[in-house]
Amino acid sequence: METNQKPGESYQRFHVLHRLLHIIVIVNFTMLAITGFLLYFSGSVWASSLVSIIGGAKALGWLHRFCAVFLYIGVLVHILWLFYYKIVLKQNLSGAATMMPNKKDIKDIVQNVKYMFNKGNLPSFDRFSYLEKVDYWAVMLGMQSMGITGLMMWFPEFFSRIFPGYFINIAVHFHLHEAVLAVMYIGLVHMSDTHLVPDVFPLQKTIFTGRIDKLRFMEDHPEEWKRQQMTEINQP
Amino acid sequence: MNLKTIRSIIAFGVLVILITALNQTSSVAMENSALKSAIIMRKPIHKPLICLNCHRARNLNTNEGIISSNAFCYECHRKADIKKKIGTSDISLQITPDTFNKNQPEHRFVACIQCHTDVARSPHKTETGATCLECHPYHSEDIANSPHLRVSCQACHFKSKFVQLDPKDHIVKLAHANYIGVPISLSNHAMADTADRRTCKKCHFKKNQVGAPAIVLPSKGAICILCHNAPLAMGSPIFGLAGVIFIAGLFFMITFWFKGNVKGEETSFHRKMSLSSESVWNTIFSKQIFSLVKIFILDIILQRRILKESVSRWAMHSLIFTSILLRCGLAIFTAIGYYFDPRGNLIIALINKNNWFTASVNDLLGLFILIGVVWAVIRRFIVKPEQVTSEYQDTIALMIIGILVLLGFLLEGTRILMTGIPYNTAVYSFVGYIVSLGLFIFHLDWTSVYPLMWYAHGTVAAIFVAYLPFGKMKHIFNAPLTYFIEAVDGVKK
Repeated sequence: METNQKPGESYQRFHVLHRLLHIIVIVNFTMLAITGFLLYFSGSVWASSLVSIIGGAKALGWLHRFCAVFLYIGVLVHILWLFYYKIVLKQNLSGAATMMPNKKDIKDIVQNVKYMFNKGNLPSFDRFSYLEKVDYWAVMLGMQSMGITGLMMWFPEFFSRIFPGYFINIAVHFHLHEAVLAVMYIGLVHMSDTHLVPDVFPLQKTIFTGRIDKLRFMEDHPEEWKRQQMTEINQP
Repeated sequence: MNLKTIRSIIAFGVLVILITALNQTSSVAMENSALKSAIIMRKPIHKPLICLNCHRARNLNTNEGIISSNAFCYECHRKADIKKKIGTSDISLQITPDTFNKNQPEHRFVACIQCHTDVARSPHKTETGATCLECHPYHSEDIANSPHLRVSCQACHFKSKFVQLDPKDHIVKLAHANYIGVPISLSNHAMADTADRRTCKKCHFKKNQVGAPAIVLPSKGAICILCHNAPLAMGSPIFGLAGVIFIAGLFFMITFWFKGNVKGEETSFHRKMSLSSESVWNTIFSKQIFSLVKIFILDIILQRRILKESVSRWAMHSLIFTSILLRCGLAIFTAIGYYFDPRGNLIIALINKNNWFTASVNDLLGLFILIGVVWAVIRRFIVKPEQVTSEYQDTIALMIIGILVLLGFLLEGTRILMTGIPYNTAVYSFVGYIVSLGLFIFHLDWTSVYPLMWYAHGTVAAIFVAYLPFGKMKHIFNAPLTYFIEAVDGVKK
């Protein structure tokens, strides 16, 4: 993955910590999805041979929890980074160039739907389009609820001291259905957005190299591009 | 098929044979004690009649099966008058279901014959006693470390004050008589509270006869993994403190590196971290990673650059460095292997200090380190080549390693004397054995000397680890980093 070192050809978009965390999420999420579904469907014909190859349901369960712990460590590192960003670097956590949803996103959705029906132009996205924000928040919030329901299944004796016993059953269903949702979202929406969109096929390298091509920057994030140009003019 | 290929094949073959051999060895006498004790006592081993060869076994996977299986045993053993005669004393063999369930509630649904695996037969006499290892693994290093491989489970876990060292297999076991020779009954199955330190005093007192140190020693600390199989535990606060100082030292070292600036960037630490992590990332995910791996293997592990300059200096440094590297590698392999297979023969062999492989390899590598240090001392302080300048930090670094290894061998000799292991086991720790022969001329109470030597060796080891980021030993971090940066920046000497 060589990078464009020439200035003006590509711009820094993600720094090393974010790239590292994304790789951690890829690996652990994939392992969680595989082990999780093998566990849930371990009785069925297609799963039982795979289950026995990996070492049985017990080994699968161990691996599932191991990956979950590592994934959550990634979440905690991300949250620590957010504190660092706000307190030490004195940047804003909500605003135009952040992941927080705002009124512009609603306008963009409406404009984008109209565009799909051949009425009007593509919306002019800022640093993160509404789809990328949904992607981030689905994962961020999803990990919290998957984490809680997973913990409830891991330590039922502890949680049934706080909640009624049937909450454990609820946790099982919640965990399963949200797993289906998460895997479908990543598999269908996220994979399409990063692999199948014609502009970036076969793979959008930005999240791995940290640098976004000038053309992609101008087309996909025009508001941020305008801001970038203004600061360049003011501080060459 | 050139010489290199042949050598690699031979090396690989040796490794395969070695690992297979280790897996076959039943390194712990306990597993073979029945056969061994029979042979040693020269009893004819006539084939016993095993009940379950003809009679149908209960299904021990069900609670009903266990209760029904136990009913056979309790039919005789619940009676108040069941006893055996030892000498002139009558020893009770009574155990009732209520007593057993009260004393061992966790084993309520374990059948008698699942622990007492060899009593369902005639003659109705156990050779092995209860075999806990059918279900439970050995203790890991941090709870009851490898010295307890020579102690039977019952000796600690049963509530009886009296222990003995069985001379036939050198295992510490429960004694069937008290210390004035009166036989005692062990059938009430009462368990000791091993969380209470007073249980340890069964064996750990001055001048004990079972070869235990006079005090309970802590486990090794995690920092000891540099040379020894060690747990992920603090052990003694000495090791914890050394670990903290080590990490603090690393922190100061790295902050010092980041104090300057290279390309005129601002003094912000955040900016420096960004730039350096970017270049690290771009180096790792690029073609350069292959040349870095090559440098790691050739220059750092095999020390090619010193070899090119001088074979004798390479030999002197490798005697110390490669030995420590191999010991550390073996220790990490054992620690990870223990996690995956705590009952495997290979891992038990590696944890057991008296196993032929572990003892001889550790002693050989330790001897190499000592030879390397002595060679370095001779070169630096006696031969004194012109281009070598000696500062006090050099002396400190050499002295710490040298004294550490010397104390280690003294400790090993003391251990051999204290535990009284027989000649044919001790001889594999060949250096320690010779040290023990030398120490034997001093008739000391080894159970009291051993703890002192242990703390001496441990303290010097703690100082060694804490001192690593300071002084001359910093080169173990600086030199590899310099090689990598030189390779990436393309600086040629």
